[in-house]
Amino acid sequence: MIRIINSTRPWPGGRPGPARRPPLPFGPVVFAALVAAWWLASVLELAPPFLLPAPDVVFATARDLALDGTLFRHLQVSLLRIAAGFLGATAIALPLAVAFGLWPAFARSLDPLVEFLRHVPPLALIPLLILWLGIGEAQKLAVIILAAFFPIFLNAGTGIAQCDPKLVEVGRVCGLGRAAIVRRIVLPAALPAILVGLRLGFGYSWRALVGAELIAASSGLGYMIVNAENLARTDIVIVGILAIGLLGVALDRVGRILARRMAPWIRSELDLGRA
Amino acid sequence: MSKLAIRGVTRVFPGVRGRAPVKALEPIDLDVADNDFICILGPSGCGKSTLLRIVAGLAEPSAGEVRLDGRAISGPGPDRGMVFQSYTLFPWLTVRGNICFGLNEKGLSKAEQRARADEFIGRVGLTGFEDHFPRQLSGGMQQRTALARALATDPELLLLDEPFGALDNQTRALMQELLLGIWEAHRKTVLFVTHDIDEAIFLATRVVVMSARPGRIKCDIPIALDHPRRYTVKTTPEFAAYKARLTDEIRDEAIRAIALEA
Repeated sequence: MIRIINSTRPWPGGRPGPARRPPLPFGPVVFAALVAAWWLASVLELAPPFLLPAPDVVFATARDLALDGTLFRHLQVSLLRIAAGFLGATAIALPLAVAFGLWPAFARSLDPLVEFLRHVPPLALIPLLILWLGIGEAQKLAVIILAAFFPIFLNAGTGIAQCDPKLVEVGRVCGLGRAAIVRRIVLPAALPAILVGLRLGFGYSWRALVGAELIAASSGLGYMIVNAENLARTDIVIVGILAIGLLGVALDRVGRILARRMAPWIRSELDLGRA
Repeated sequence: MSKLAIRGVTRVFPGVRGRAPVKALEPIDLDVADNDFICILGPSGCGKSTLLRIVAGLAEPSAGEVRLDGRAISGPGPDRGMVFQSYTLFPWLTVRGNICFGLNEKGLSKAEQRARADEFIGRVGLTGFEDHFPRQLSGGMQQRTALARALATDPELLLLDEPFGALDNQTRALMQELLLGIWEAHRKTVLFVTHDIDEAIFLATRVVVMSARPGRIKCDIPIALDHPRRYTVKTTPEFAAYKARLTDEIRDEAIRAIALEA
């Protein structure tokens, strides 16, 4: 018997990582330049301090809000809402996507309704949701679920539909039944698309939540911002914006790390899912 | 009794948008003896892959039947292993995971699966790559994994649909030697579809030539080259004689196939 061992391309560090990054860290440089420009603008008083407080003022406010617990209280409320809503959206969207993939007749009959709802922004439904559900947690949950549902559902559906029929045939040749083919072939094959959908859905729902908190809430980061606006505290508004942005980036990063752990065979698909 | 008996198998594809139905296969009769290595040789579009898919149970014949060990085939089953032309490894499973995939259905314990997978990983020369994912492997290594996956379930019949068609010439030649070595050492009944004349002669105990569409068996030529065969057999006069004959047979069909496409 012959033995031929071809050369392989090993992963650096033995694990799949993100695509190679440029050697210079331009990202932080750009960010620092922006802060510098902000600082310069406030020192030169290009804008009244009431509209554009200096960076050090904002950072001092951030420290105060962090120390007296205000920031974390609002942050915790927003995070709990997003966790519940995001899990709820996933629990509805994924089984529905599988059902659509398995039963085309079911998919065809529900498709017009799905298409209709898809084109209505969740924020446009807030007035209706407030009338139906009040201004409590149920309404926030509904907004998050509506915002996260479509990216998760549509991407999972695409992933399931695009499963290579050859892989399904391999399963049939191995003697797998329909349920086993879905569980062992179709779902793993759709996982990259599902993860992209989860990532998009998270971004959508995070923004929708803050929007909902801006309109009708008594706690949460969005409420903190709108309340500060009413008090003419621009520094708190900026702290809120920074917190929302940084938290979004951090949670997205955590999600990507989890996804890489769960699915080490996926290389770059995850980086596509941004919107 | 023959291992595999194909009796009057035809395949007609229904016409699209009012056109006449397309006959892919004329009635095919073929008997395959135990441990035979049959190469089905034909021009592209002659229905040879369709015939293989019918034997695999992935496609239904329009008429006729296929019997394996006397039992009529009604669908896919673990008694037949298949290697496809394109890479069909599961990207989320390692080499070992891919080979264990079919073993799971056989009710083997995890430890038995692993031992068996590693045995076949050794047989296709992939020891040391057990934990690699498909995308880390070259095309040849991926097809060796697919071959190991098909062999590991110990099928009665091994079906290969142009398994080396996407590989470069050198890799393809080495894969042919690997497959032939495994067959000579362990014997299996093999049905191998190809359009490559050299490949067919080198591997087969019998070459079945199919005509252009609608496919029918044009001739059936036993290859009386000694086993074990080495790659040097490809330059012998006997090999050249088979090649000359098969080239003539297949050339007419290739010309007809091209005329059909035009």
